[in-house]
Amino acid sequence: MLKIENLKKVFGRTVALDGLNMTVEDGALYGFVGPNGAGKTTTIKTVIGLLLPDSGRITVGGVDIVQEPGKMLSKIGYVPDSFGIYDNLKVAEYMEFFAACYGLTGLKARKRSQALLEQVGLDDKADFYVEGLSRGMKQRLCLARALIHNPPLLIMDEPTAGLDPRTRYEFKEILKDLRGQGKTVLISSHILPELAEICTDIGIVDQGRMVAEGSLDQILEKINVTTPLMISVAEGQQAALRILREHPMVETITIRDEDIMVGFSGDKQDEAALLQQLVDAEVQVYGFVRERGNLESVFMQITDHGEEGTVLIHEDY
Amino acid sequence: MKIINPVYRHETRAGARSFKLPLIVLAFNGVLAAVALLNMYTMIIRVKLTAELQYSSFLGLYAFVAAVEFALLLLFIPAMTAGSISGERDRQTLDLMLTTRLTRSDIVFGKLASNLSTVFLLIVSSFPILGLVFIYGGVTMADVGLVLLCYVVTAVLAGSIGIFCSAAARRTTMATIASYCIVAALTAGTVGINYLSVRFLDMTTVSGASGKSGLLYLLLGSPAVTFLSVMERQAGGGNILAALVPQLEWAREAGVMTEYWWIFSMAVQLFLAAFFLWGAVKSMNPRRRRRRRL
Repeated sequence: MLKIENLKKVFGRTVALDGLNMTVEDGALYGFVGPNGAGKTTTIKTVIGLLLPDSGRITVGGVDIVQEPGKMLSKIGYVPDSFGIYDNLKVAEYMEFFAACYGLTGLKARKRSQALLEQVGLDDKADFYVEGLSRGMKQRLCLARALIHNPPLLIMDEPTAGLDPRTRYEFKEILKDLRGQGKTVLISSHILPELAEICTDIGIVDQGRMVAEGSLDQILEKINVTTPLMISVAEGQQAALRILREHPMVETITIRDEDIMVGFSGDKQDEAALLQQLVDAEVQVYGFVRERGNLESVFMQITDHGEEGTVLIHEDY
Repeated sequence: MKIINPVYRHETRAGARSFKLPLIVLAFNGVLAAVALLNMYTMIIRVKLTAELQYSSFLGLYAFVAAVEFALLLLFIPAMTAGSISGERDRQTLDLMLTTRLTRSDIVFGKLASNLSTVFLLIVSSFPILGLVFIYGGVTMADVGLVLLCYVVTAVLAGSIGIFCSAAARRTTMATIASYCIVAALTAGTVGINYLSVRFLDMTTVSGASGKSGLLYLLLGSPAVTFLSVMERQAGGGNILAALVPQLEWAREAGVMTEYWWIFSMAVQLFLAAFFLWGAVKSMNPRRRRRRRL
């Protein structure tokens, strides 16, 4: 559905995209992740035609977006990271306005609008002013708006940011429904567990390049994820840190509240020995677990440039 | 089927709902009516005191009310239009519109048309006040029609400037300031530059030569000079115009477009408006924006 080849975009001296490659298959629910400034929004804005690439090629359903921008517009629905709504319009009017922007008018527009509002659970709010809607409702309205011209590809930039857990759950269900209808969805988000749960494919972008792409299992297989040991300490954190600093198999130490995340290269016996050492030193350990590899750990490992939270880097590291 | 521009339709619907529209109409006509009635009252008092009825004072009333309306339009229009595109940008709805089938021209013309609708409403609603002069006669419907045409051209020009600034500036405040600056430069700046150029020639050339040159044709872009030339044709009293345009006498004698100045100047101003609209469409091209937001 969407294919990006060697995409480059430079703003002044800042290289936003540095030869990005990306493939989103038909019917996929593609999670697009990366740290802030990695180039996600630039990629999305380039795909929807709001930015012109410096070089590279983008095709949507086989249509080159630079050569045939008009055709491309009817293939993409876009939900930005902001709501993009008019407060002084009613919900139905808002939908009809965007329907008219796509050349849909009259009964056809009304029917399409009603069907979409029903799909996102806003059919009873059609006569309400948009300003009276809750944040979650506004986001669902934006989703319905993006689907008004029935595009095969839906691109969403941080759609669940700032939503409460229930609304996020409802949103996820809608996305699953859309996938069931054969839509291809590209979703950019920082809520990694959520993406891991619903996405069929993941693309991790860092410093303008695609650093990992595929299903989560493929990525975990491809990237040798060294998942950290998570040690939860009730008392004696300083003593624990002293032991960890001196341990030859400890590579990194990151503190998060009462938890200590330890990059540990040893095997199960070494882990047991470390735990025994901590207990002997009267450190009150109430949690000691090596986490299973997941999207978050992959993300942290790939995008770790050694600057965040690491309080120790062993000489051998 | 050709549909009404969606932006125009949406803007007029939202505008009609807003309390701002009746407030603007009320303020505009309120000021105009107050000025007209006060002027009329003063005139009647003078007649009572002197027992002299000067017909020219009725034409003076007409010219004064028309001038106030012209000034109010120049004051209102940049404020009304400067937020039209930048407001969409602030609401972050501009990118959404640009990803639909709407073209940039659709958006610009939709915005201009909706703003001009409001301005036409102001002009039409003020017609009864301007029509006070019909009580006494001396001004024909055709004359008033010409004044209204002058207003419309001024509205199109000032509106286009507002839309251009709104499309080019990142923020509404900047767009408003820039619109007022350009409108002031065209309206009064051109007059000032011409005046100074004539005075400069006065100092540097042989006596009498200065009145024939200067930058007379620069004034074709000034809505104020167009308005004054129309008023002079209808109500006489060309003192203001003569004071502002020192080479006017020479131009009249030489017949340099003065007879049909208003036609040429309106054509030039419409051309300028088209240029500003073209600029607005060009500066709205999102692919030309150099954003740092990644």
